[in-house]
Amino acid sequence: MRRTVAAILHVGTAAGVGLCAAATLLYAVGSPQAVKVALLGVLALFGTPPLRLAAVARGFMAEREPRLALAALAVLSVLVAIAARAAYGYLL
Amino acid sequence: MTPLLLAAFGFCAGLFGALMGVGGGLLVIPALTHLAGLRFSQAVAVSLTAIIVSSSASSASYVEKGLTDIRTGVVLELATVAGAVAASLLSSLIPQPVLLGLFALVAYYTAFASWRRRGRAGEGLSAGEYPVRRWGAGLAMSFAAGATSGLVGVGGGFLKVPAMSLVMGLPFKVATATSNFMIGVTAAASAYVYAARGELDLAATAPTVVGVYAGARLGARLLPHIPSARLQGAFAAVLAVVGTRIAFDAWSLLR
Repeated sequence: MRRTVAAILHVGTAAGVGLCAAATLLYAVGSPQAVKVALLGVLALFGTPPLRLAAVARGFMAEREPRLALAALAVLSVLVAIAARAAYGYLL
Repeated sequence: MTPLLLAAFGFCAGLFGALMGVGGGLLVIPALTHLAGLRFSQAVAVSLTAIIVSSSASSASYVEKGLTDIRTGVVLELATVAGAVAASLLSSLIPQPVLLGLFALVAYYTAFASWRRRGRAGEGLSAGEYPVRRWGAGLAMSFAAGATSGLVGVGGGFLKVPAMSLVMGLPFKVATATSNFMIGVTAAASAYVYAARGELDLAATAPTVVGVYAGARLGARLLPHIPSARLQGAFAAVLAVVGTRIAFDAWSLLR
């Protein structure tokens, strides 16, 4: 489980920060694409915590620790509910 | 010039956060309001995104090295999320200055306790090599950390680290690594709400998170080589500053 969780955290942050670094350069040269690239970077960063929670839940299930898996799933559900409610409010 | 300065402040916040298990909003928020001219709520939104980066970047290393106690973290995360939800539901019922005053007292007390007990934490122990005790008190403090996060938009690491190290008996470095693992989730919950409200300034976020990432990666490399007693002393000083800031917020609301 540790390797999977670490890989998700590495890939999620590297992708998000890489896009934000590119966006910083695009902002510096005044490119209109900067906003889109920065937005993609932020979305990658926002997606990392729920993905790592899902990996933790899956890992505990595989290790036959259903209570810990359930705890991770409960936190994931709350996070997804908050994100959905925020997105719904944004779309309204 | 401003993006470079934001990246520099982000670097300091990331380094500091990775070593102490806190988000580093104390450094990022003033930089964003003074240098980038953002409103306080916009600065909080960028700071919360920075906490996600600091937490994820440092945790990736700590999880690999076996410093993060994932089992304890998952259980405490549940209490933290419950605290954040409860705070959002009850914040209108309890006077905010009273809550903030209580949090300031807790921060001062834990600063004092951390200073007194520095050096007693198990040096060199990895996750799982110690008995975890007083779950009830640890869960209660994590609940309070979540409530603070929901009320003042911080990661809550300043309560999670002492809950684990002083109350539950985790070695200090394991506590900071586990707090870093947890604060990303707490910050994400608040960050989604701020972003959906349109408070996230992308032009300020991009350079800040680049700096935070570099700082957090460096901090994660340095942590295993710094004596726990020094880290705990520095953490006590940070808590005293956090306590003062929260007390000031409470006083400002009373006036």
